[in-house]
Amino acid sequence: MKTVFTVLALVALLIAPLIVTDPFYVHLMIMVLMWTVLGVAWNILGGYAGQVSFGHSAFLGVGAYSTMILYLNLGISPWYGIVLGGLVSALIALPIGLICFRLRGPYFALSTLAVAEIVRLVALNWESLTNGPVGLLITTLPPVSLWGEPLNWESKTPFYYIIALIAAGALGITFLLARSRLGAYLLAIREDIDSAEAIGINTVQARVSALALSAFVAGVGGGFYAMYLRYVDPDAVFSISLSVEMVFIAVVGGLTTVIGPFIGAVFLVTLGETFRTHFLWGHLVFYGLFMMVAIRYMPEGIWGRVRKLIGNRVGVQNG
Amino acid sequence: MAEPMLEVKRLTKSFGGLKAVADLSFAVEKGSIIGLIGPNGAGKTTVFNMVAGFLPPSAGEILLQGESLVGLKPYATTRKGVARTFQIVKPFRNLSVLENVTLAAFLRFAMRRQAQAEALRIIEKMGLTAKINSLANDLTLSEQKRLEIARALATGPKLLLLDEPMGGLNATEVDQAARLISEICRDGVTIIWVEHVLRAIMNTSHRVVVINYGAKIADGTPQEVVQNPDVIAAYLGKRAQPHAAD
Repeated sequence: MKTVFTVLALVALLIAPLIVTDPFYVHLMIMVLMWTVLGVAWNILGGYAGQVSFGHSAFLGVGAYSTMILYLNLGISPWYGIVLGGLVSALIALPIGLICFRLRGPYFALSTLAVAEIVRLVALNWESLTNGPVGLLITTLPPVSLWGEPLNWESKTPFYYIIALIAAGALGITFLLARSRLGAYLLAIREDIDSAEAIGINTVQARVSALALSAFVAGVGGGFYAMYLRYVDPDAVFSISLSVEMVFIAVVGGLTTVIGPFIGAVFLVTLGETFRTHFLWGHLVFYGLFMMVAIRYMPEGIWGRVRKLIGNRVGVQNG
Repeated sequence: MAEPMLEVKRLTKSFGGLKAVADLSFAVEKGSIIGLIGPNGAGKTTVFNMVAGFLPPSAGEILLQGESLVGLKPYATTRKGVARTFQIVKPFRNLSVLENVTLAAFLRFAMRRQAQAEALRIIEKMGLTAKINSLANDLTLSEQKRLEIARALATGPKLLLLDEPMGGLNATEVDQAARLISEICRDGVTIIWVEHVLRAIMNTSHRVVVINYGAKIADGTPQEVVQNPDVIAAYLGKRAQPHAAD
């Protein structure tokens, strides 16, 4: 049953741009998938491990900048640059995790806010590398051919397929994590960290692993973000609103579920765009109201509620 | 004394100016049940926290079969063979009984199937088989206390630290728990047991260590300890009235 759904979803993902050709809707689909990736990143740490981060834009931004700098300075194609950006993010997450995970609960959450601000200031002031507040701009993407056909970077369709591949990969990572021993350990940590330690789980190591994996996914999302917009500056990629948006998508979709971030992205991205086009001013007010209602009446998220209704709960066996 | 499982030497823990545990020494013979008793605030749980690595000692030595446990994190002491329960139960509330115990069995069994088989064996021993699929949160307190012990046992301990496993249980449940603890000891696990329910601990323990204000005031068989005037003054005397003996 699940396999059938997965195959259907992949087919839908594959043929969607053939049906939807209006550039605005293709852009919308790209944004939904990009936010899915970022929601997945947050869900790994905030959902499975139960460690709330308000600074995930740090990892998105590091990925975005890394991909950009690797291309502009070293001529490394974004094909590799996006993945390398994720790896740089994961690498940076290691010392951050080792320091911040000495703290628990709200103190950890606050420290992530500080980390994001520190990273933003580094990007702002390290002008030789980041071009400071001016930011970095890519005018032309490298020519790439696929099956003998050169890709048209002016069209949005290639971007759609790239982010669809990344999103499918990110969801696949969550699926595997939920079934792995690390995933089981993270659930234990989320439930009770003292008990997790008491049964022999190295909780610092497990949380740092979760953070690195989460940062990798966020960094890959960031790399794509940079290539899609062809422009990064510190305020665009390290802003707190990006961090908060990731939290919202993961929470509204359903924490600790594989598909939750996708559901959250579908709802919130389309909702955000609708409000933006229909209300010239104050669209964020409506968005905020929706968030309040959603969290008040559905704290387990949309997919969490659906799973509850069909009697399927989050656990060690079924992920 | 035969080979000691645990030796605590001149153990001290200060919180600011307060000495919660002062110069405490005792040894635990392999295969025995030691009761650790004392009035509220005597430092019993602090001793547990230091042995299990949850608190670093200010001074002193803790040896498990001659190997020092000082400086190890809780997960590391567990891997050396020290398992503990918590006075206020800390189950993984939104996971099932089977999942709770399986997670602990992962320490010794890499494969999920083996870990689960071991978990089922321990759950049966603790009389929780009927509840394997219940969420830990939905269990009664008595069941949660047993789950806590089951989870500790699943890590395969040499030494089991029980922090008030009888707290909040009724008389029937206390007898049942005492039988379980004796059985666990017969299976080869050395036990240190902190308890307020004196009747159960006196009947089940091989030896009792009494502490007050963080220092040892008595150490001997249950019969010796209850006749010790210091102990009566510090602790038992206050509980000698009828109905107050739990």
